[in-house]
Amino acid sequence: MLDLQAVSKHFGGVRAVDGVDLTVARGQILGLIGPNGSGKSTIVNLICGLFPLTSGRIVYNGADIADLPPHARVTMGIARTFQNIRLFGQLTVWQNLWVAQNSSEQRKQNFLKRWLGGSRSAREEIDRTLEFFDLAHKRDELAGNLAFGEQRRLEFARALSAKPALLLLDEPAAGMNAEEIDQLDGRIRRMRQDGITVLLIEHHVELVMSVADRIAVLNFGQKIAEGTPAAVQANPVVREAYLGTAAAA
Amino acid sequence: MDLLDLIDAVQSVADGVLFGATYALLGIGFTLIFGVMHKLNLSYAAASIGAAYASLLILAGIEAPAIFVFLMAAVAGGVIGGLVYLIAFKFIPLANPLATLMSTVGLLLLIDEIIVHSTAGVPLNYPALFSDVIIPMGPFNLRGDLIFVFALGCVCMVVLLLLLYRTKLGLATRAVSQQPIASELCGISITHVNVLTFVLTGVVGGIAGAMTGAAIGMLSPLLSLPLTVKGLIVTVIGGLGSIPGAIIAGLVVGGLENFFQFFRGVSERDLYIMLLLFAFLIFRPGGIFPTTAGRD
Repeated sequence: MLDLQAVSKHFGGVRAVDGVDLTVARGQILGLIGPNGSGKSTIVNLICGLFPLTSGRIVYNGADIADLPPHARVTMGIARTFQNIRLFGQLTVWQNLWVAQNSSEQRKQNFLKRWLGGSRSAREEIDRTLEFFDLAHKRDELAGNLAFGEQRRLEFARALSAKPALLLLDEPAAGMNAEEIDQLDGRIRRMRQDGITVLLIEHHVELVMSVADRIAVLNFGQKIAEGTPAAVQANPVVREAYLGTAAAA
Repeated sequence: MDLLDLIDAVQSVADGVLFGATYALLGIGFTLIFGVMHKLNLSYAAASIGAAYASLLILAGIEAPAIFVFLMAAVAGGVIGGLVYLIAFKFIPLANPLATLMSTVGLLLLIDEIIVHSTAGVPLNYPALFSDVIIPMGPFNLRGDLIFVFALGCVCMVVLLLLLYRTKLGLATRAVSQQPIASELCGISITHVNVLTFVLTGVVGGIAGAMTGAAIGMLSPLLSLPLTVKGLIVTVIGGLGSIPGAIIAGLVVGGLENFFQFFRGVSERDLYIMLLLFAFLIFRPGGIFPTTAGRD
């Protein structure tokens, strides 16, 4: 579904991402891990179009999307969440989801209905999503007034609002307690059942090992390993990248 | 001060508040563009006066009743707003904060020049609707033209607020002003929102320009600079980016203007308004409703 081909991003002399090949298969959860500064977030930013590529191709459903602006990629079905929360704080919870309904299918609705009141199906979709994220009782609250955990859930919900086929999760578990991570785990699994493909970037290794079908490991902007969670865990190169070698220390 | 003076003073301030609706609309225009782009559009008031001139031109061409002048001004304002975006923002590097400041100042002067050249600098009469209507209220007389201007301004503001707070179009605009990057990544095209904002504020500006013309009975190229300054003052006093702030500040500045004019004379009037601006900048730099930071 998503194919990164020899993708590079250099910031001046820094090779943040350097010739990475990465394939996300449809319906799969691909975990992307690596030490701090290894280029994980840069890859997400390249996929969603926040930065232009230095070189390489990003192929989504057979089309090269590297030159499309971010909003066009959302319309095509690529949505994301942020590591640091970026909600529309002065909009209500419900409105946060409404403005994010921008998939190509949702865009086909009648202009007046879509922009002035929202069609019934659009409103029902929002209510369902709020229910799924346990936010229904907060629907008229300003997003900026929510507690931290609720804001994280709302970000997640907002990303689903555009009915993505591919969801990029950038450290969704950051700052969460064990119970919340458990719920997150469940929600990611539910999304896979619903047919959503997920690229999961996460520091919380347990979560990634638990939900991911495959894992790719980055270090210094390069992919150093890829495989099933068990294979990656056993890989000596990965251990070295995380723990360092005696010689390097 | 005896009672008659007091009545005159109150009357004058009330007239000022009514006329303040035009300042409020201009303030909203400045503040909306600042909200979505974090840029000042200094050509805004000049474009608004330009739209009022254009409405006279159109009206002369089509022989419609005078009330249509407001509709024409709104349409002309929207078109000019779109042109302003194209000329002064679309191809200008936005990363440099001075670039658009210079391009919009240039556009302000250009619009002024166009007006001066096409009218030979002679003020034109503007249809003053309901100027013969005087509504007596106790010891006060409310001028029909000012009431009309005020009512029209209020209608504009209500429509604008409904649009911004109740429709998805408006919510998308506010989303962009709060979190431009996240908006783009929620599928909102920032370019579309920018164009929309310029057209929308252009419509509002056109109406404000027509209201100014109707309230003082004429149009002159000399109006654009003072209106630019007043609009900016209103925007700062209300709080950059705050729409309710712009409304309140517009009415307050309108009222105070006449207050100072009544007690200190027309030549000193603007002096005190400037002092008010500085008082705000020093003691309450965020304005009446400071907009919270937290934008990236």
